Amino acid sequence: MTAVTLLGRRTPASRGRRGLTFGDRRARFWVYGLLIAFLLGSAFPLYWSFLVASRDTSILTEHVPPLLPGGNFFANAARVFDTVPFWKALGNSVIVGGVVTLTTVFFSTLAGFAFAKLRFRGRDGLFLFVVATLAVPTQLGIIPLYIAMSDLGWTGTLWAAMVPNLVTAIGVFWMRQYTAQVVPYELIEAARVDGCSMIRVYWHVCLPAVRPAAAFLAMFTFMTSWNDFMWPLIVLNADNPTVQVALEKLQAGYYVDYSLVLAGTTLATIPILIILILLGRQIVAGIMHGAVKG
Amino acid sequence: MRQQLQRAFFGAIALVTACSLSGCGGDEGAGGSGGTTSSGPVELTLSTFGEFGYEDLIKEYMAQHSNITIKHDKVGQGGPYHEALLTKLAGGSGAADVSALEEGHLSDVLSKPQLFNNLEQIGPKDVNKERWLDWKYDAAKAKDGTLIGYGTDIGPLAMCYRKDLLQAAGMPFEPEAVKPLFATWDSYFAAGDQYVAKTGKAWFDSDSQIFNAMQNQLKVGYIDKEDKLVIESNPDIKKNFDKVTAAGGRGQTAKLAAFSNEWNSGFKTGAFATKTCPGWMLGVIKEQSGPELSGKWAVTDAFPDGGGNWGGSYLTVPKQSKHPKEAAELAAWLTAPEQQIKAFKAKGTFPSQVKALEAGELLSATNPYFGGVKDGELFAKMARKVGPAQYKGPGDGQIQENAMSPALQAVEQGKSAAEGWQQAVDAAKRIAK
Amino acid sequence: MSETITKPVSPPASRDPAPRNRQKLSLRQKLSIADVRYSPYLFISPFFILFAITGLFPLLFTAYISLFDWELLDDTGKFIGLENYATLLGDDQFWNALVNTVSIFLLSSVPQVIIAVLLAALLNTNLRASTGWRVGVLVPYVASLVAVGIIFGNLFGVQYGLVNSVLETFGLDRINWQNDRLASHVAIAVMVNWRWTGYNTLIVLAAMQAIPRDLIEAAVVDGANAVRRFVSIVLPLLRPTLIFVIITSTIGGLQIFTEPRLFTELPGSSNGGAENQFQTVTLYMYQSGFQYQDLGYASAIAWALFLVIIVFALINFLLTRRIASSGEADR
Repeated sequence: MTAVTLLGRRTPASRGRRGLTFGDRRARFWVYGLLIAFLLGSAFPLYWSFLVASRDTSILTEHVPPLLPGGNFFANAARVFDTVPFWKALGNSVIVGGVVTLTTVFFSTLAGFAFAKLRFRGRDGLFLFVVATLAVPTQLGIIPLYIAMSDLGWTGTLWAAMVPNLVTAIGVFWMRQYTAQVVPYELIEAARVDGCSMIRVYWHVCLPAVRPAAAFLAMFTFMTSWNDFMWPLIVLNADNPTVQVALEKLQAGYYVDYSLVLAGTTLATIPILIILILLGRQIVAGIMHGAVKG
Repeated sequence: MRQQLQRAFFGAIALVTACSLSGCGGDEGAGGSGGTTSSGPVELTLSTFGEFGYEDLIKEYMAQHSNITIKHDKVGQGGPYHEALLTKLAGGSGAADVSALEEGHLSDVLSKPQLFNNLEQIGPKDVNKERWLDWKYDAAKAKDGTLIGYGTDIGPLAMCYRKDLLQAAGMPFEPEAVKPLFATWDSYFAAGDQYVAKTGKAWFDSDSQIFNAMQNQLKVGYIDKEDKLVIESNPDIKKNFDKVTAAGGRGQTAKLAAFSNEWNSGFKTGAFATKTCPGWMLGVIKEQSGPELSGKWAVTDAFPDGGGNWGGSYLTVPKQSKHPKEAAELAAWLTAPEQQIKAFKAKGTFPSQVKALEAGELLSATNPYFGGVKDGELFAKMARKVGPAQYKGPGDGQIQENAMSPALQAVEQGKSAAEGWQQAVDAAKRIAK
Repeated sequence: MSETITKPVSPPASRDPAPRNRQKLSLRQKLSIADVRYSPYLFISPFFILFAITGLFPLLFTAYISLFDWELLDDTGKFIGLENYATLLGDDQFWNALVNTVSIFLLSSVPQVIIAVLLAALLNTNLRASTGWRVGVLVPYVASLVAVGIIFGNLFGVQYGLVNSVLETFGLDRINWQNDRLASHVAIAVMVNWRWTGYNTLIVLAAMQAIPRDLIEAAVVDGANAVRRFVSIVLPLLRPTLIFVIITSTIGGLQIFTEPRLFTELPGSSNGGAENQFQTVTLYMYQSGFQYQDLGYASAIAWALFLVIIVFALINFLLTRRIASSGEADR
């Protein structure tokens, strides 16, 4: 094992030996076994959606579903493309999700940094207030929010779908807690002594250190935005929908064709999986962990 | 609520941000765009859910009216659609110029007629009551006389049943021969006893499906014309409740809540032999039962103690509309018999217009899955058997869905009928308070 | 939560006690002082400005409406003071919903947090294809609600469900997942745990990734075994994150809405079963506001739930502090 590098940049050799380690093969076997079991349980509904989408609705009523996909997926997917403006909806969802994710992550890390590491009047009170607002259920808020958006003249535009989600209290709470844990004061002081302004401290010290948490927040924010349904349904028009709103139209009629519906949801999952993989790579140790001890 | 909230909203913004957003604020131009006078170009919005069969009709209308463009907002399911509609009505803007409203949600808005234009006043003068079946037209009239919507489609009730299962039970099974079984509720439950005794299987899907049909045949529903809750003072309600729960207790119910997963499966497994059957249910039965059961289901033009209706919608013109007159004209045109027949041909929505029920296209329609029955003619006949419209007071639909149906389900799950009744009454009182 | 802050950065000016001659400060120094003094406000203001519209305004709205007899579709309401709250105290259905909520909360949040911490510990080891595992645990949250609804409906179906079929194969009795109160809570908790454990796992994992490796290696050298290392080094260092996980799980668990709504047999029903046996407080709130159109009453329910959550959150906060307090050596 290489020694802890001073700058904290992990050398390739050190990559494998962080966190808890375990040596013997039996433990290894159990760890992978448990993880695989957990993963199968997690992924099953997604796979099952694909099964139904690739066969027909009749497997819904079978006790034990077949294990292998059938050959209907592309036919069902083609029907989805015929029925809903899928690409346009996909584009809208990417725009809405992208903007919302960027603003949430940026403003949350910024506010989280201030709340965790800077001293200012009213800090603790304001922070407690932010956390407390989480405790009020949000379902009723849809009416005043709708009125607000329509007064601003934004209903029917993507703005209305984005604005209510540009920041979240939970994002600030999360980034504040994480920053409190991982950013050492010594580092901030050192940067100040070097003449860094506060915003540069945020950018060059805080942000790199909180990368894993920011990546997670980005993943979660994007997914939540992607799966949001009721709010975009209310504020957007049918000719300019997000993916979930567009896909809902597949459920018209008294009888729901689930192989069509699930073909749609499977298609809508692909982009999000790509984003998850891209961001999942970011949840790795921050770059400065060798630099400060304790 | 809008004005108060507007004040509150801008007050709040001003308080917290001082200035940054005021640029976007003040103006009132929320919502619609388009012309302001009837002669200029007008953009109308139309919102529907499920399948109304209006796609081609809209093109036709725009071709006929060069100054009008129609934007059609379609939502798949009725649930989210009505939630969005209520939010927009509560919020004071954004509802489409022509907004569809399902019959089951009438009682949610009928006591707030001020939210809708009275179509008898602003609609074309040549459109009147005679166009529709009486009960369909009357159901959309608020107490103050406001007609809040033009009827589109309906769901007249007939009886669907499994021919093969009845035959196996040694009971009559041809559509003509089964009619006596379905003549009255008493004969229906008696036949159910016979079927249960022979097969040990259930006769109908759930207590609440039967009860709802009986309840809708009453002269007065849960709430009377004075908007008083009469669930306890109207003895017929309790009588029906006792009849249904007794029959269910004798094994006639399959205890499958309508539209649940298990109900869907129940069609294939033959969990129940009969089904109260609005016209649109034929499609559900066909899809849920699958091709193997083709020809085994039948439908007959009989319904216990007369007839009934389940489903169907109206087109309303909310007060929010900036072009109420043009919107009413569009709604009137779409709900004309000629158009509704085209919608029927496109998507099978069953028309509510007297003339449409006599149209050749409707009368000649057949359904191969149900043994080639002339279903158009059959349901047209059943539509005329529906009794006068029952007044649906505020909360009526909610009582049906959230007081009565759960209580009936609780009885199916082992609660005593007396306790179940008490549960229903308590819940109804909470809703109607 | 502020206890975790031990050494906030203070303005440099304070270290250099009371500069008497302000005018002698260079422009650069003045800017620096202003930077330290005002930056915090600058950093939190974008959040608060946006939050005022999207978070606070709806909150104030519900607080205001809760003092009125206000129907959903009405222009205005009648001021009735605290009457909605008084009614609430005597409302059996509210208390029933509260009991259901707490029951489902305990069945879901407790195992969820424990599993999440353990799973994160596993994911924090030297794994092949680590990104794959991380994405994998978050996948339940990706699955569409339509699919989740059908799958759990099929799993816990009373007559044709997979779980009951398995139980029967082993000679056990079927369980009435819909109508038995506790069974329905268990089934919903399974659903909640399935959807949210991965979320909490990744949170804890992100925090574990930040624990300096040399700390643990030092403990290895000292001869501490894996369990001891975990309890006495890792857990205390995770304290701020554990506080986050526990507080948000408390809030999310007590506001549980989507899962019971998906679980119900009747699509779209907010009734929580035939006898409200799994109706949660938020479902009741939703039903009161959007179905019974009693917006004032629904708002009162929202704020009553707020108080309940604050109580639970405080209790859990204090518990968490005790559990993971040994790490605050530098206090």
